[in-house]
Amino acid sequence: MKILKILIILFLITSFSELKSDEVNDILKNKILKNIRCLICQGQSVYDSESEFASSIKLIVDRKINEGLKEKQIYQFLREKYGDWVIFDPQLNKNTYVLWLLPLLLFLFGGAIIYKKIISNKK
Amino acid sequence: MLANQIGYYSLILGLLLSVLLCGVSIKDFKNTHKQINQNVLSLSFLQLVFVIVSFLSLIISFINSDFSNETVFNNSHTTKPLFYKISGTWGNHEGSLLLWLLVLTLFIFLFLIKSREQPKKYRILTLLFQQIIIIGFFLFVLITSNPFNYLFPIPNEGLGLNPILQDPALAIHPPILYLGYVGTSIIFSSSLAAVTQNYVSKQWGQHIKKWVLVSWIFLTIGIMLGSIWAYYELGWGGFWFWDPVENVSLMPWLTLTALLHCIVVLETRAALTSWVVILSITTFTLSMCGTFLVRSGILNSVHTFANDPARGIFILIFLFALIVLSLGIFFIFHKENNKSSNNFFWLSKETSILINNWFMMYFLSVVLIGTVYPIFLDVISSEKISVGPPFYQKLIVPFLIPFLLFMSLGPRLKWIKSKIENKNSIIITFIISVMLTFFIIKNLTTELLFYTVLISAAFFLFFTTLKELFIKRFNNISQTVSHFGFSLLILSILFNNILSSEIITNIKIGERYDYNKGEIFFKKIEERKESNFNSIIASFEIKDKNGKTIELKPEIRIYNQPVIITSEADIRTTLLEDKFLVMNLVKGNEYFNIRYQIKPFMVWIWISVLLLSFGGLMSLFKKKYEK
Repeated sequence: MKILKILIILFLITSFSELKSDEVNDILKNKILKNIRCLICQGQSVYDSESEFASSIKLIVDRKINEGLKEKQIYQFLREKYGDWVIFDPQLNKNTYVLWLLPLLLFLFGGAIIYKKIISNKK
Repeated sequence: MLANQIGYYSLILGLLLSVLLCGVSIKDFKNTHKQINQNVLSLSFLQLVFVIVSFLSLIISFINSDFSNETVFNNSHTTKPLFYKISGTWGNHEGSLLLWLLVLTLFIFLFLIKSREQPKKYRILTLLFQQIIIIGFFLFVLITSNPFNYLFPIPNEGLGLNPILQDPALAIHPPILYLGYVGTSIIFSSSLAAVTQNYVSKQWGQHIKKWVLVSWIFLTIGIMLGSIWAYYELGWGGFWFWDPVENVSLMPWLTLTALLHCIVVLETRAALTSWVVILSITTFTLSMCGTFLVRSGILNSVHTFANDPARGIFILIFLFALIVLSLGIFFIFHKENNKSSNNFFWLSKETSILINNWFMMYFLSVVLIGTVYPIFLDVISSEKISVGPPFYQKLIVPFLIPFLLFMSLGPRLKWIKSKIENKNSIIITFIISVMLTFFIIKNLTTELLFYTVLISAAFFLFFTTLKELFIKRFNNISQTVSHFGFSLLILSILFNNILSSEIITNIKIGERYDYNKGEIFFKKIEERKESNFNSIIASFEIKDKNGKTIELKPEIRIYNQPVIITSEADIRTTLLEDKFLVMNLVKGNEYFNIRYQIKPFMVWIWISVLLLSFGGLMSLFKKKYEK
């Protein structure tokens, strides 16, 4: 529960923080670029790459930020254009339920095992 | 030419020795003598010698640039400096497998020498299980990846080594990492042997803990070296990318760390026997899986420098056979003995170690699923997704908070039944941590609450262990040092993350660039010729807000064989921060693209990892086990 609360609070904080100046824009831009895969490189992000693909994506992201799009909208735009492969942050959908939820289920399962072991010792 | 032949036949002799060794030791197993037959030791030594000879011959072929050898042809070049000719030996698929074999045979020989007080049958069985792995690797090398393939006609020049691999940290990274990686094979073999002999006991725990520590130390340092290399060579100031190949080395590290904690329970309380064995098997399996994932080329990664489906299939079958074998042995032979020792109160050291293992396994599941799931999804539905840093951060970082808190409190507990002592001092330490954190970061980040909680937890561990080190002297100093190192690591990473700043701009020679906290002046460029590359060395003067000027000289290298352009960052390291400058060519333009980064506490990340492993080293050399 504690973890869940923290996650919720974190989520609220991140979604309510507003952009203020150019400097914040730059930070946001770099954050976004780090989450985009350079499709013609081997496992590099657009941020890390100097390829032509990366340069064009950088321009696109720049423009979209100036148009006032939010981080998530930019990801969505890129997803529609290049597919899910291009974003390093996988969405939660039917393809990725296992990916996101299995580790958490295993965590609960592990907790249950330890709890049971301790309870059985009590008797 | 000659070296080639010697290397190849040494490998075959090494393989034959494996078979002979199995025969001799099975015969010796039935013998009633107390000690192992001397022949077994000699044969094991001879096998090691053959593998060393084979490895040396490959090194000699590399030094001589003998291009009749296919491996040398593919990975070397005459103009390469000697140091990188040598390190090129293991900077490729074939050579790195030879290194695997070298470590496998080295460790089993050391094991035989160092385990004389152990029961004979257990030692022989460990040798046999290890030989199964060794035979598998001999066959793998000889059938799919022979490092001594002959080329005719002999080419005049080699293809060269990828320049980003020509680097001092990367030259020693593979051997160190492999000592850790492959070292887990001994843990695997000996735990199987111990299960068959029903010897999973306190004595075994004390004896195998040394090997766990050795592997753990090497693995920790090996991962760190890779990370340092990535920091100044690969990335633009990043040091961990959650790249599949990095994950693959992190996975055995996580299980090994869990095992290291668990084995303490085994050696003092003879409890959790099944779990120790399962962890031992898992650790080695993950090391093998790592080899499979990297070598088969199914991972899309910066590190994948050679791949071939036949190799993947071989390792997959071999891995499968090992898993079946080990699980079979576990279920047939393993008996949970000594029921009473499994009893402990909820508030006890046992529980705290179980909690450590619980979190370790969770982190493992995140990394494992994150690495493997995209491959499965691609195979099943041919949909491609990327799983990158945001995924791991979201699933791991929040869990660090309880993990750090448990880590601060756990080591204070006693075995079997404990109560929390000095509640007041704990509470005071906690409040100090929270207040200090809030005071430091209140203006620094937008995610204030989350970071306050997280950093407070890290500070809490930091102060608890620090107090332990200075006040309650030498309770269990090795553990305290390691835990202190870990808290320092988390703190440095977090502050590095929050406080890092960077400037990216295009600039030409003679130009000044003003940013709100200082000024960058592009003074000049020089050109220089080395044997295997030409370089453009720029010099920049950077003035910070206090008017202090430093000069940084980033470099662009144009390697001749193969033709690759790389950027070499120039980094000025101080205790407080790293100043990191890297530049790039802009196509058809007199401008250069530069990135200037200020990265606080960078050096503390490496120092804390060293502290972490130093704790392990202290534990290894602790003279007598403290009860």
